[in-house]
Amino acid sequence: MIARNFAYLQPDTKEQAAAFYQEFAEPFYYGGGSEIITMCRAGDIAPDAVIDLKRIPEANVLRLEGDALVIGGCVPLRAIGDSGLFPLLKLVCGRIADHTNQCRITLGGNLCGTIQYRETALALLLADALVVLFGPGGARAVSIHEAFDERMRLLHGEFVLQARIPAQALFLPYVHVKKTAGEKIDYPLVSLSALACGDGVRVALSGLLPYPFRSRAMEDALSNRSESRERRVQNAIQCLPAMPMADYQGSAEYRQFVLRQTLAAMMEVLNL
Amino acid sequence: MIGKVIRIKTSIADAIPRIEAWEKATGEAKYCGDLATPDELIARVLVSPHAHARIRSIDVRAAAAMPGVKAILTGEDFPILSGVLIEDRPPLAKERVRYAGEAVAVVVAADEAQADLALQAIRVDYAPLPFALTPSQALAAGAPILHEGLGEYKLAVEDVYPQPGTNIVSQYNMRKGDTAAAFSQCEVVMEQRYFLPPSDHLAMEVRTARASITGDGEVAVTTCSQAPHVVQEQIATCFDVPTGKVRVTVPYVGGSFGGKAPVTLELLAYMATKKVGGRPVRVVLPREQDMASAPCRLGLEAHIKLGASKNGVLKAAEITYHLDCGAYADIAPYMTMAMAANGTGPYNIENLACDAVSVYTNHTYATSFRGFGHESYLFCVERAMDALAKTCGMDPWEIRFRNAIRPGCLSPSQIECTASNLGDLPECLNKLKALSHWEEGRRIRVDGRTVRAKGIACLWKAVNPPSDAISGAVLTFNADGSVNVNTGVIEMGSGDKTRLAQMLADKLRMDIGMVHVAMSVDTRANPKHWKTVASLSEYLNGVALMRAAEDALSQIRSIAAQALHCAPEEVEIDDAKAHKRSNPKEFFHFKELVHGYKAPDGTSVGDPVLGRGGFMLKGLSPLEPGTGRGKLAPAWTVGAQVVEIEMDIFDYTYRILRAGTVMDIGAPINLKATTEMINGGVSMGLSLASREAFAYDAAGVTRTPNLRTYKLLHIGQEPEYRVDFVFTPQEDAPFGLRSFTEHGILGIPAALGNALSAALDREINSLPITAEALWKAAGGNV
Repeated sequence: MIARNFAYLQPDTKEQAAAFYQEFAEPFYYGGGSEIITMCRAGDIAPDAVIDLKRIPEANVLRLEGDALVIGGCVPLRAIGDSGLFPLLKLVCGRIADHTNQCRITLGGNLCGTIQYRETALALLLADALVVLFGPGGARAVSIHEAFDERMRLLHGEFVLQARIPAQALFLPYVHVKKTAGEKIDYPLVSLSALACGDGVRVALSGLLPYPFRSRAMEDALSNRSESRERRVQNAIQCLPAMPMADYQGSAEYRQFVLRQTLAAMMEVLNL
Repeated sequence: MIGKVIRIKTSIADAIPRIEAWEKATGEAKYCGDLATPDELIARVLVSPHAHARIRSIDVRAAAAMPGVKAILTGEDFPILSGVLIEDRPPLAKERVRYAGEAVAVVVAADEAQADLALQAIRVDYAPLPFALTPSQALAAGAPILHEGLGEYKLAVEDVYPQPGTNIVSQYNMRKGDTAAAFSQCEVVMEQRYFLPPSDHLAMEVRTARASITGDGEVAVTTCSQAPHVVQEQIATCFDVPTGKVRVTVPYVGGSFGGKAPVTLELLAYMATKKVGGRPVRVVLPREQDMASAPCRLGLEAHIKLGASKNGVLKAAEITYHLDCGAYADIAPYMTMAMAANGTGPYNIENLACDAVSVYTNHTYATSFRGFGHESYLFCVERAMDALAKTCGMDPWEIRFRNAIRPGCLSPSQIECTASNLGDLPECLNKLKALSHWEEGRRIRVDGRTVRAKGIACLWKAVNPPSDAISGAVLTFNADGSVNVNTGVIEMGSGDKTRLAQMLADKLRMDIGMVHVAMSVDTRANPKHWKTVASLSEYLNGVALMRAAEDALSQIRSIAAQALHCAPEEVEIDDAKAHKRSNPKEFFHFKELVHGYKAPDGTSVGDPVLGRGGFMLKGLSPLEPGTGRGKLAPAWTVGAQVVEIEMDIFDYTYRILRAGTVMDIGAPINLKATTEMINGGVSMGLSLASREAFAYDAAGVTRTPNLRTYKLLHIGQEPEYRVDFVFTPQEDAPFGLRSFTEHGILGIPAALGNALSAALDREINSLPITAEALWKAAGGNV
């Protein structure tokens, strides 16, 4: 049960949404609401307004436009998967939560939420996507690498209007492996996404550290065909930016073991 | 009255659906939380965020001034102690909290939102204290003592033995034969340690309770309890109310698994309503509090040493069980006693030294859980049996068959086993061998990265009621000749009421459709049944019910005899009719008899039929201090189980393929329902063993008190279930039926442990067995 009252606003335009945001002290943008509901219930947040973005037309786009796949921030994970437009992202979305929640959780919500795994970022990071952000200052299109550093770096009042994914990234050979402590539907111990690109590979990881990341150093190590696969995996692990997390799901050492297995499997699938 | 006589359609063997199946399937069944009334107030509970702390102060001023708030209670309001064995638990913490999740204050408000907001406005100043989270920590020198007043607590029973100045709640020692001498002659000795963490019951229905007090002092409580009569008696004792003035009603209970046997929220509901002048108050727990605050399953540390001849015949055992009973005693001392009295598992061991100790820790306190501790100690014993088999170079099935306890053997508490009180374990093992295709081999390499393995475990469980447990049944009849059944048995999903109705239909020789069962229990209407626990309903209430049926039948016979102009002994009953033995075509239907018989000439004959039956357990005795000699239970149920798994030898993930159970249930009553009940237990055991545990952080606070992070086995992960039965009647039980409702869980954690130990060729002696646990056991290479 959510004990506190709050205003619920449903703007029709992006401009109206940004304007509403400035009228409240503790406003939250609302996509699917799954996190807002649970966090309010737990008393972790106490919004005085939730601004539902789902009626903004640009935030509901899901189509190829010229040389890019455009996905609105309010498109549910399930719809992204069902469209089949980006096979890697389809796999990623298909392993976040369960079917019911995939129908609610949106791309923007998954990228901007507080739950640290934010696995849709993995595919965007690998595809060198652009994100279109909208806020009181208007729209800006920035590289995901600039917008996402451990989490989305948004200006006050900004939300994710769209992601634009270069078409050439959509059909590269890919791998997505999500390893959990035991359940299929759970937070990841290690969630790995990879795209084979020319001779090399791009790799992004979630679950291992308290944030998703793409590591060029790991990619270089894994792409270095002068070394054996085993050696390359070992070198890539050496390049981890920090020690793996330890929590109730698994120890740091076990996460490292799972990472090694996952990387080795990826090398085999992509024939690197 | 002349017509065709047909045989009744219902017998105890028929696979009839549960009598409440339609109500539950359509959502019409009402549970405690569904019975809200417009005038009720809502109470929410503030809980401790510390594992162990002194309460310096509680400031409720801001909360009390908030809208809708009617009252705020703290430990100062009702400074009482409660407990069914040891009165050690304040319903609201006073001066000190002993676990994270302990109730500290209660807000009563007009609605849940107002109660919730006020809860957040209460300021509690805590001074954290050192804490102990395992029995070893709590028993170590210098450990924080949880209950300095242990010596002054009132004991509600005679056979608990708290040790003041320590964290020992109670201890039971079993001594049989000469263990030291026997070990010196053993050719093979096996010794290992085991660890099981606490976990939760996780019934679908979250606990709730409601109470009100009328102007003339009548207390009404509605709750989701397994023990309404105990709720009644506890409220009377704790708050000095005449017992008869307390009326407790229990509608359907949405699962409990032992977790709703203790009296907890009912006390808070009483205190809350008392504080607001008797207005109805319902205490609401969110799932997170139901997990962290309400009592959970025990944890266990064990040490087992087994001695045998080189051909695997057990000679001696030395066993230590240290139960993690959490911050309060509740029923843990009796679980400890049950573990002592049965702690060898179902094996004949002539020389035994077993010490079972319940230990206070700063965990959520433990209460009964499906299996009453047997599911936990059997993990240890059955892992030990596999380790012994390995040491002897024997097949695990073979070593169990060779040592299986049989009629003529003495139990750990030195009761002579008979076919009637024990059942036939060797026959269960024989049938299990076929059911599980044991001969295929224990460990089979499937391909380059997969192995398939089987693990076996025996089970036994003695019910463990107090020696004065009682039950009763009252039968009334309707104008159509059908019968109404009134007992104190709670329907919480275990199907007891259906089995009892089936037994009654058989006894009264009528169709099950003519048996109407009062599903809710009201202490003012239904005769006392000790508690709906321990898988005892069919025995304890079954005897009472059969006596009530006998009573009703003798009245029906007497009326029929007068109507038929014959002696009562000449009256036969069948198909809800009474006929003359010499002429079955001359009969009266029950509907013509049960409200007395009115003859054609208008003469009235007999009186209305009212059946009554009661039963008090007989012949039980407490364990004698020192040796542990004594009879705790009327009988055991034995069985054996196999779990088959497939493991990836590279990443240590595994799938559970099949789980087989053979159990001696005494008699074939509704085997379809029995099979499903056993499968439910198997599923619960697999979940417990493969994934369930309360994980604690460095501050002793549980990290997973929600279903987002605490995972249960769910649909889609279940294995293929196989069940078979053996029928060795328990002579003093109705129809010879043995207890079985809890038992599907009992050997499963061990069988899974044995399967995975075989797959990995390592000793897996802790639960839960996750892929990470297997990786660690295999060496933990990164």
